[in-house]
Amino acid sequence: MEYQNNLPPEGINTSSVHPLKQFFQMAVAAIVLVVILVVLLQFSGALLAKRIPFTFERAVIEQMKPPFGDSEAHPEMTAYLNELAQRLMLNMPMPEGMDVTVHYDSEKTFNAFATVGGNLLFYKGLLNRMQDENTLAMVMAHEISHVLHRDPIASMGGGVASTVALLGLTGNAGTGTAGNVLKSAGMLTNVQFTRSMELAADKQALAALYGTYGHVAGATELFEIFASWRDEPSGLIPKWYERFSSTHPLDQDRIDQTRLIADSHQWPNSGEKTPLPAEFGRWLLKK
Amino acid sequence: MNNILIQVVGVVILLILGFGFGRLAEKRHFKRIIKREAASQHLPVVATRYPPVDQPYSQILVTGNVVIASDYFKGFLAGLINIFGGRVTPFESMLERARRESVLRMKDEAMKLNAAYVFNIKFDTTRIATGRLAAMEVLAYGTALVPIQQGIKDTQQPVLVNATV
Repeated sequence: MEYQNNLPPEGINTSSVHPLKQFFQMAVAAIVLVVILVVLLQFSGALLAKRIPFTFERAVIEQMKPPFGDSEAHPEMTAYLNELAQRLMLNMPMPEGMDVTVHYDSEKTFNAFATVGGNLLFYKGLLNRMQDENTLAMVMAHEISHVLHRDPIASMGGGVASTVALLGLTGNAGTGTAGNVLKSAGMLTNVQFTRSMELAADKQALAALYGTYGHVAGATELFEIFASWRDEPSGLIPKWYERFSSTHPLDQDRIDQTRLIADSHQWPNSGEKTPLPAEFGRWLLKK
Repeated sequence: MNNILIQVVGVVILLILGFGFGRLAEKRHFKRIIKREAASQHLPVVATRYPPVDQPYSQILVTGNVVIASDYFKGFLAGLINIFGGRVTPFESMLERARRESVLRMKDEAMKLNAAYVFNIKFDTTRIATGRLAAMEVLAYGTALVPIQQGIKDTQQPVLVNATV
């Protein structure tokens, strides 16, 4: 019997498609898929979450009693912040049954945020830099606007929906690093939503500021404080990317927008500023 | 959010490196494989279990194994393909290299023994988990038939092939 081997034929297990071509096709398709998915789920998740009645949202959060700051140790500061919030809300279109609770935290974090259940948290790090009540009122009105627009629950709903979907897509054992990169693409899509929320909140806050004080002085100063705190620009990162990837609009963009809105409504940009309470500095120093 | 930028830049650099080096290595490897296959063609490798009965042969197990890793680019592309389905082409060529290389190594061993044939060749493959990147082992093994006249030394017991098999 004769035994012989022929040389194996080439090109059976190798694809004729250039790997780079395949790579770009797949990458573009995957990114488009992620963006569509996140946009869709953010939108529908937010829409559904907003249908949860505020009173129910508030009751649930109260039941859970999440720890917010250390208000108990700072009763005067907390009382003042809540009183300011109530004053501002008189000039905001708050629906029946919607209310906020302001908490204080003596951490040095430079931040304030609104979260589910109408809870606002103000950090000492931010309050420290407030020059007058108007500037503080701008932050406060901004955060109340988030509650008014139901942003915390909407981003929670949209966030949960899109995170679960992304996890299903990218948590797949085979996707590996590609999955991680797609997750970033999803996050970048997500932040496009939060930014529009921020701008809407700025707009609402400005109206409240005007309604309360008769002018909008303090609004642009607030963003200048943000800008100086951030110590921008960071040089290394191009501006367009910073704008595209940030959860908040750039400070300069917010200043420009504020001026634009104020001008279009003929709200004076300057006016007599209301000082902070005389005791404010002492409250901040309290341990 | 800037860490996303850093992550993406890092991934892009790794992809470029993986693509460049991986493709270079693959091209070179295929060239070598084709050359060596031509050089070792005189030794038939046969999958049948029934060896020739024309003369006595000693039977010796010969093996050739290869561990081959994918590169970053292949792994990444395979991850994308995993979403949409289809031929995982980056791994197809990788496995083909591994299979052909393992046969060549097995043949090298057989040729050292002056074998006339390698019979009953089989493949075995194992995935070796090295983190997220895939590495494969391919083992080719078969029975080398060495004609007894050609002088296998006495210490190696020649085994007569049972002619009635």
